[in-house]
Amino acid sequence: MKYCLITFRSVTPAQRGERVLRKAGIACTLSRTPKWMEQQGCGYSLRVQTHKAAESAQMLRDEHVEFRKIYLLRENGKGEELSL
Amino acid sequence: MIYLDHGATSFGKPPAVAEAMLRALQACGNPGRGGHRAAMAAARVAYDCRELAGSLFECLPEQVAFTSSCTHGLNIAICTLVKPGDPVVISGFEHNAVTRPLHGLGAEIRVAGRKLFDPDDTLNCWEDALKKAPKAAVFTHVSNVFGYVLPVEEMAKLCRHYGVPFVIDAAQSAGMLPVSLKKLGADFIAMPGHKGLLGPMGTGLLLCAAQPQPLLRGGTGSESRRQDMPDALPERLEAGTLNIPGIAGLAAGMGYVQTAGTENLLLRAVREQKACAHALSSRGYRVFSGPRQTGTLSFVPREDCEEFAWQLARRDIAVRAGLHCAPLAHESAGTLETGTVRISFGHDASPLQTRKLLAAISNLKPKKYFQ
Repeated sequence: MKYCLITFRSVTPAQRGERVLRKAGIACTLSRTPKWMEQQGCGYSLRVQTHKAAESAQMLRDEHVEFRKIYLLRENGKGEELSL
Repeated sequence: MIYLDHGATSFGKPPAVAEAMLRALQACGNPGRGGHRAAMAAARVAYDCRELAGSLFECLPEQVAFTSSCTHGLNIAICTLVKPGDPVVISGFEHNAVTRPLHGLGAEIRVAGRKLFDPDDTLNCWEDALKKAPKAAVFTHVSNVFGYVLPVEEMAKLCRHYGVPFVIDAAQSAGMLPVSLKKLGADFIAMPGHKGLLGPMGTGLLLCAAQPQPLLRGGTGSESRRQDMPDALPERLEAGTLNIPGIAGLAAGMGYVQTAGTENLLLRAVREQKACAHALSSRGYRVFSGPRQTGTLSFVPREDCEEFAWQLARRDIAVRAGLHCAPLAHESAGTLETGTVRISFGHDASPLQTRKLLAAISNLKPKKYFQ
């Protein structure tokens, strides 16, 4: 299974994003953002399945939940930023 | 105890409040500071409370900032909108939580509308004052001394019409009357957690529609490399560790209010207030009563108001006497020199409370106070 990380500046918008996605039936997991992904330091992310990433991003935009970036997680632990 | 001092703080909180606080103490870490179970449990407590407040007060969860009190929230809002020397309009029934920050900032305070229980006077004076281009307006929803419900919807509408940013003090209305950030269109609405919302002391909410200036600066668990405060709410206003046990209790209190229904709570309190007003008037006390009034009632006894309240306290009846931190409201009503005795009913208002209060008052023996 491949996953993406949607990053947020802090825990509060990440939590609202979590509620929005779950309400829409999209499974997601809230966790800390890997340090290298968060330039300003100390953020939170939602992990979603890759095939749900575009739909999730659109849903968050529709609900005005501000997120920072979306990364595709590689098996080697690296990530690739996506433009969705 | 017959507790009739809900205007100061609600008492006899629902058991769920203390239970939620205990659970939070046992299970929660520091919210927004980690990814482990305890930190995430705390983050859930905070978010659930924001979400509940958002549903009660018609705003987004992010617009709900936690404060330590209504006063704290008012200070943030006032310091955001008002600069030294700015003309600011306030109602004639403001608490020191509004007037002292304005005095401290050196604002030019313009008081508009001083007639008690007279919404027409309030609105006419309010509009006249807004026409003179103040920089901001601050007004209470309900007078903490007299229970007068100001015509806030119309006052807010006038502020919007004249383009004056405004703050509403919902200290005495949140949990008893409808309060909507969306409908009122306020820049800020401040409220305590420990009064009508039935949460613990040390909690409060500031609903933000405008970008606030932080009163405190420090760690937020986010954007840590920045040395200025984050722009985004609610973190912008929440430097330092949140009072998670208090917030858990506040959420439980709000849950009780939501289930019971603010209208039902208000109706019960008003019914008892009216019964007291009628009885005290018929006994010759100077009672302040009107058509737009909550469960709060003030009257002037024949004796010193503090002595009167002390006599009731000795009979285990809790009321409050004096100026109630609102000398402006007393000045408006002409009671600055005497003060008043304030009876404030709350979520547990009952005819039994009224009967016991009135019986105790009947039995008070003048000239024996403080003995």
